[in-house]
Amino acid sequence: MSGGTSRAAARSGVLLGGGVSTRAPVTVLLAALIFALGAYAPTHFLSEFALRIGAGGLLLGILALSVAFLMSQAGLVALGAASVYGGVGYLFAICLSEWDLSPTAALLFAFVAVVVYSAALGALIVRTNPLAFMMLTLAAGEMISHSVMLEGLRDYTSGADGLVVNFKGAVFGMTSADFANATRFWPIAWSAAWGLGLAAFTVRRSRFGAILRAIRENEERMRFSGFGTYLPRLVAFVFVNAIAGVCGLLHVLNSGFVSPESLGLSVSTNALVAALIGGVAGSTGPIAGGVLFAVAQDQFGAHGFTQLLTGVAIVVFIVLLPRGVVGALLDAVRRSDRRGTG
Amino acid sequence: MLEIANLSVNYGRVRALDGVDLTIKGAGALHGIIGPNGAGKSTLLDAVTGRRAPSGGAVRYRGQDITRRSVAWRRRHGMARSFQRTSIFQDLTVREQLTLIARHLGDDRLGDVIDAMNLGDCLDEKAGRIAYGVQRRVDVALALIGRPDLLLMDEPGAGLSAEETLNLFLHLRDLVRERGMAAVVVEHDVDAVFACCDVVTVLDLGRHLATGTPAEIRADARVISAYLGSAA
Repeated sequence: MSGGTSRAAARSGVLLGGGVSTRAPVTVLLAALIFALGAYAPTHFLSEFALRIGAGGLLLGILALSVAFLMSQAGLVALGAASVYGGVGYLFAICLSEWDLSPTAALLFAFVAVVVYSAALGALIVRTNPLAFMMLTLAAGEMISHSVMLEGLRDYTSGADGLVVNFKGAVFGMTSADFANATRFWPIAWSAAWGLGLAAFTVRRSRFGAILRAIRENEERMRFSGFGTYLPRLVAFVFVNAIAGVCGLLHVLNSGFVSPESLGLSVSTNALVAALIGGVAGSTGPIAGGVLFAVAQDQFGAHGFTQLLTGVAIVVFIVLLPRGVVGALLDAVRRSDRRGTG
Repeated sequence: MLEIANLSVNYGRVRALDGVDLTIKGAGALHGIIGPNGAGKSTLLDAVTGRRAPSGGAVRYRGQDITRRSVAWRRRHGMARSFQRTSIFQDLTVREQLTLIARHLGDDRLGDVIDAMNLGDCLDEKAGRIAYGVQRRVDVALALIGRPDLLLMDEPGAGLSAEETLNLFLHLRDLVRERGMAAVVVEHDVDAVFACCDVVTVLDLGRHLATGTPAEIRADARVISAYLGSAA
């Protein structure tokens, strides 16, 4: 058993990389164009209501991105995304109202706090099997959801009434009113979706992403190849919660309000459904799924059968498009490419 | 290189391995482990490589007690293994998985492993889509990365024909000598073990029965009685 070709290939470095596609510069240019158009064109053509629905969809898409990343990369389904999404909003509001922090300091504190919380929770639960992990994230999320309703914390959380978040000054050059303005908020939500999507894409394509996928696929072989499997899972868990944290902060800045509903299980399941509708394998799918879900909810609500139609739509999407809308589109493009070259 | 002292493993009330003592000495030697079903061969490998915690006894590797060391630690310190059921990354290409592990273990001579296991033609194939015999070679290749000092293989011939198994063993013997490592092979195919291994150990009912050269083992009355029977 021998062959000089692979040795030569390895020496030349081909073995360690896939080479640079000639399509890459065109793709980057196209992406930049879509980004620039998407950030500003809708603010000129869409109504404020449509922008509000769209921005809500993008935020749900970002939350879905956090859920989808963990599913596709680590094989773990988290049902506690809402605890971070809503929890960071509560922390931000409490920092402003109780501790008189500046808006920027409050944002940073809230973000760091949820990252630390995620690391502590992750340290306890990422070792478990996928089913136990899912139930533990659900349990942790429900505990936080119920804790804001505790009578002893009512002075801080206002119980079922929730907290109004109206800060003085500016955050990154924008006032509270700017964030509430749909036309001004849309480019922020759009940029955040792209930025976080790109971050997830980069991690997915990195060596760390490859390690995560390999652990998902065959954890035992990874350990027998000298890898620790605990830390990569923990880092992935913290990473997705950081995404959910940014999403929660954007939500509270935009809505100016945080309530127990934002911590509810329905927020987590909506994110999961949005991820499944769009497709969990990449960054575009979950974000597109979030927008589709938000638009569909609005349309279904207009007919008065929101839950019924949502249920039907979920079944139809998952059965007919198991790889999600974006996955199905990509499959169609690949089939078309093959027909073209064949 | 490897000293196994009074090693025992229990599965509940069943004693799968019962006070086994064994020494794997030389580099460049292929050490076969044979025995009937339930003899504790795979359990021995599991206990040595850290897959299963022993109930008693000790495993010493290069003079160091590694009984409580993690699987990953053992691998990083030169102890590799392959599995009875092929354990590869089905959804990654052969190139991706080999490269991932080579980078982690700091092995810049991956081309040698690819050549040694003749994998040059399937590097860009998803491992799940290649033939089973090639998957077995990928499995062994994953274990060879990082130039381990000690390679433990659990039935590398599982699922292969007698001829394929013999060829694999001959290749392994050459590889072990060429690389100067020690290898322990658990195998059902007694003919391949006797043809290729330098030393053979026989286990029976979780106990060590005999260790010696293939000729000594063939002639051992206890081994004939317990395992080989008149076929020897």
